[in-house]
Amino acid sequence: MIDRLGRVLRVARWEVARAGGGVDRRTLLAALALLLVAGAVLGGGLAVGAVGLDVDRDVYRVAVDGDSPYADAVDEAPALTPVPVGSATLGETADLVVLDVGRGESGAVETVAVRASDTRKGEAAAAEFREAVEAHNERLMADEENATAAFPVAVTLRYVGRTSALDDGSTLGEASDGSGGDDGSDGDDGSGGDDGSDGRGGSGDGSGSDGTDGDDDAGGGTGDAALDGGASGDGSGSDGTDGDDDAGGGTGDAALDGGASGDGFAVPSVGGGTFGADTAGSPGSISPPFPFVSLLLAFVFLVPMNFLIQAYGSSVLDERTNRRGEPLLVTPLSPVDIVAGKTLPYVAAALLVTTVIAVAVGGGALSVIAVLPVALTFLAATFVGAMFARSFKELTFVTVGVSVLLTTYAFVPAVFTNVTPVALVSPLTLVVFDLQGEAVSVGEALFSTGPMALGAALLFGLGLGVYREEDMFTQKPVTRKLLDALAVRLSAVDDAGLADLADRRRLRALGSVAFLTACAIPFVFVVELLAVATLFALPVTVSVPVLLVTIAFVEEVAKSVGLYAGFERGVFARTDRVAVAVGLASAVGFFLAEKATAVVQAVGLTELYVGRAAFGSVAGVDGLSPVAAAALLFAPLLLHGFATTVAAVGASRDRTAYALTLALATLLHAAYNFGVVSVHG
Amino acid sequence: MIEVAGLRKTYGDFAAVVDSDFSVEEGEVFGIVGPNGAGKTTTLKVLAGLVDPTEGDVEVAGYPSDDPEMRRRLGFLPEESPLYEEMTPLSYLRFFADLYDVPRDVADERIAAALDRLELDHRERRLGDMSKGMKRKVAIARSLVNDPDVLVYDEPASGLDPVTTNSVLEFTRELRAAGKTVVFSAHNLYHVESVCDRVVVMNEGRIVARGSVDGIRERHGETTYHVFTDVAPAATDRLTAAVGDTDAATEEVGDRFRTAVPDMDGVEAVRAAAAEAGGEVVDIRTREPSLEDVFLDIVGRPMPGRYTGGGGAVADGNAGDGDEGGDGGEGDGGDANRPAEPREGVE
Repeated sequence: MIDRLGRVLRVARWEVARAGGGVDRRTLLAALALLLVAGAVLGGGLAVGAVGLDVDRDVYRVAVDGDSPYADAVDEAPALTPVPVGSATLGETADLVVLDVGRGESGAVETVAVRASDTRKGEAAAAEFREAVEAHNERLMADEENATAAFPVAVTLRYVGRTSALDDGSTLGEASDGSGGDDGSDGDDGSGGDDGSDGRGGSGDGSGSDGTDGDDDAGGGTGDAALDGGASGDGSGSDGTDGDDDAGGGTGDAALDGGASGDGFAVPSVGGGTFGADTAGSPGSISPPFPFVSLLLAFVFLVPMNFLIQAYGSSVLDERTNRRGEPLLVTPLSPVDIVAGKTLPYVAAALLVTTVIAVAVGGGALSVIAVLPVALTFLAATFVGAMFARSFKELTFVTVGVSVLLTTYAFVPAVFTNVTPVALVSPLTLVVFDLQGEAVSVGEALFSTGPMALGAALLFGLGLGVYREEDMFTQKPVTRKLLDALAVRLSAVDDAGLADLADRRRLRALGSVAFLTACAIPFVFVVELLAVATLFALPVTVSVPVLLVTIAFVEEVAKSVGLYAGFERGVFARTDRVAVAVGLASAVGFFLAEKATAVVQAVGLTELYVGRAAFGSVAGVDGLSPVAAAALLFAPLLLHGFATTVAAVGASRDRTAYALTLALATLLHAAYNFGVVSVHG
Repeated sequence: MIEVAGLRKTYGDFAAVVDSDFSVEEGEVFGIVGPNGAGKTTTLKVLAGLVDPTEGDVEVAGYPSDDPEMRRRLGFLPEESPLYEEMTPLSYLRFFADLYDVPRDVADERIAAALDRLELDHRERRLGDMSKGMKRKVAIARSLVNDPDVLVYDEPASGLDPVTTNSVLEFTRELRAAGKTVVFSAHNLYHVESVCDRVVVMNEGRIVARGSVDGIRERHGETTYHVFTDVAPAATDRLTAAVGDTDAATEEVGDRFRTAVPDMDGVEAVRAAAAEAGGEVVDIRTREPSLEDVFLDIVGRPMPGRYTGGGGAVADGNAGDGDEGGDGGEGDGGDANRPAEPREGVE
């Protein structure tokens, strides 16, 4: 074992030397310069993301007193320039004036009036002012230690039937319908005249549901918007109970009630602001707090992968070019040793770079642990691609494809961190959690990293299947290479003696079929998770049918493509009996492995409607009778057995027959899925 | 040293090797001959453990061909020798020696000996900057870094210039002298004839002839008598007619005429015809069949894309120890790579 490890390390050392020797100094410098430029751009992007663009600095002049509660908001907004109220003339030396119109007993300003010049610039200044106040409030809230108090969630329960849920276009992620249905619908109170707006306090805290009316243009020129300073300084309690709607009365001035708690103060209602959560679990509710900077920083972890896979893919394909790697296959090293040795430097580089980035952006071990499976999947997918590609041109498509797909898979779900369990599909979500200093359970970590880690291992296994002289140096289309890679994992099944299932050789052969199909489960799982992540924001009228058919197709392909490979490569005899036997074996393998996906329950994915649609069969059988539960448990086995056998019979004929029977099996499977979702979902 | 029994290798529906049996003794140079697609390279790759046999047993140096231990005792030279071009010969050979767990000092000794013998200087030059012949020498040196008992060489002199070819062939003979067992395939049958103790002839995946070069020649080849006369040019038709063989022909060679006849009766007939024409027989030579002739006889078709025939096959008389051989097949076979004379019916 130690000798073997030593040889692997020798290959790794040689790979490093080769990789270094293959790049001349000039190219290295150019790459370094490129990296620096990319880093600078990325750093600039991060800076922009963190502090905002300043291209419109000092555009509007706002007259505000230094002791006004709005002075800080104006000071902090790059586009606004504060000017003293005393010397300001609206329309000439100021675009907007913030007047203190009422002070409390303590002398603190409680009510202000905002007046904008009757020009387009005045309107824009008012809008900018509102945004500045909102941003100021957000910053104050973000600084609060008690996030629950800072960002309380207002939930209005509204029970609706399933069909209405379909009809009203609510999203799949909507667990309890949120409060968005009627929130903000009173924005047209109109009591304030043409510019009236209602900053109603909702259920008591101003931040939860105010300003959802889209039609107001507070202070839009004709009148003053009176803003209720709301909270009396900083002592109004935890939830801003002064949510009184002092709608200003139709005086032409819109009275806006911020109802803010703590240090916050009223935000002019500007129509569907960021805090105007309309539903829970949908993109509209991703804030607060949208982990923008954390996401960007998490994305930084993916950038080096693209460089690594280029070098790694080239190195693997280089072995195949002109049979260069043939002498290595004659050495005592096994293909596993060779591939491990060749891959090790790139894994080490990924680990090193990930660690450096983690340290640089304030991440910890969790970030490294989370990114490692991503790096391995990048490398594994590239390895398979490089083993299948016929040229460097094809390899380019492979690496670009790998980069786009895996970046999408890793990044998109992470956008919904803090919003929905779907986000945990991506290991990058763990990085975001880590950067935010949030704890992650072991189950969540396994759920996030497990599929990718397992997928990476299986991809390496797939590529290793063709890491042999007979397949490495042949020039075949990628699809045929894939079939070769699958077929090499199967044992021969002939018609003779098939009845004797007790025969060990026969059992082993059918076992290889079941095992191969079971190995497809992580990929099926990943695709289904990706489908969930992609579709969950859409109305269920669209997403559920698409999802169910997609899942049916993916699963039928997963169960039958290995069988097709077996028939095409002559591993299986082309008879109906063999087709039925291998079809059933494949179905059993899939059924058993599918049960392992019960891990989705650990992270609450099945709480989502779409989660239940995708993983309904493992989402529990609570409330069902034992007979019904057993039927539900084994019904998938019957489905898989029947559908896979249908596809296997087609696969045993030819490609056209396989395509037709695969379509038929998909339809059967999709129909079953619809039935299950109707009954159980 | 090598035992092959019932070897069969198929790729889908295509049978590359069918029911192949042979054995190779220790210290023997064993040749595998055949046209393209005959199954030579596949057979060698099975021996090297690169390709798994579909059926049959293959044992090399006492180990099954898929045993990693077997690979420690084997050196393989593939038909093509693309190397890692960014490396130098020294670093490349050291790397392979490392993979065989050869201690660095021993490796350096072996590498130096092999490169010295193969007359390869420029050991620190990038392999990518080397000529094909130099790279081939490095590849040969690579096959020796583990001091193997068995060497499997696929077309070792393919595409090399005559000087390098002779050097490689001579080196192969030295390996035999050093007690190594060499299995050797070649397109150029002269190469096989000149170094192999025994050969098998393969065609369409099957072994169609086997034995020593001389034995095969005896069984499958025919001795031809070349009768040289000094008759007048107008009388040559009479010579040909005298033989009575439609294959016989009289050709002008210098200031004489040569008539090829299959036996002594033919010689006598030509002698009589020459006398009638006022001339006489001035010389009679025996021409032993080359391996290429035998190959044509066995396979029934010429080597694709190559010239065959003529006297090129018995250069230096090395392979022709027939009773009257030794004159180098009429003296035109001295160059190992020189194509033989075109011959009727040959592509």
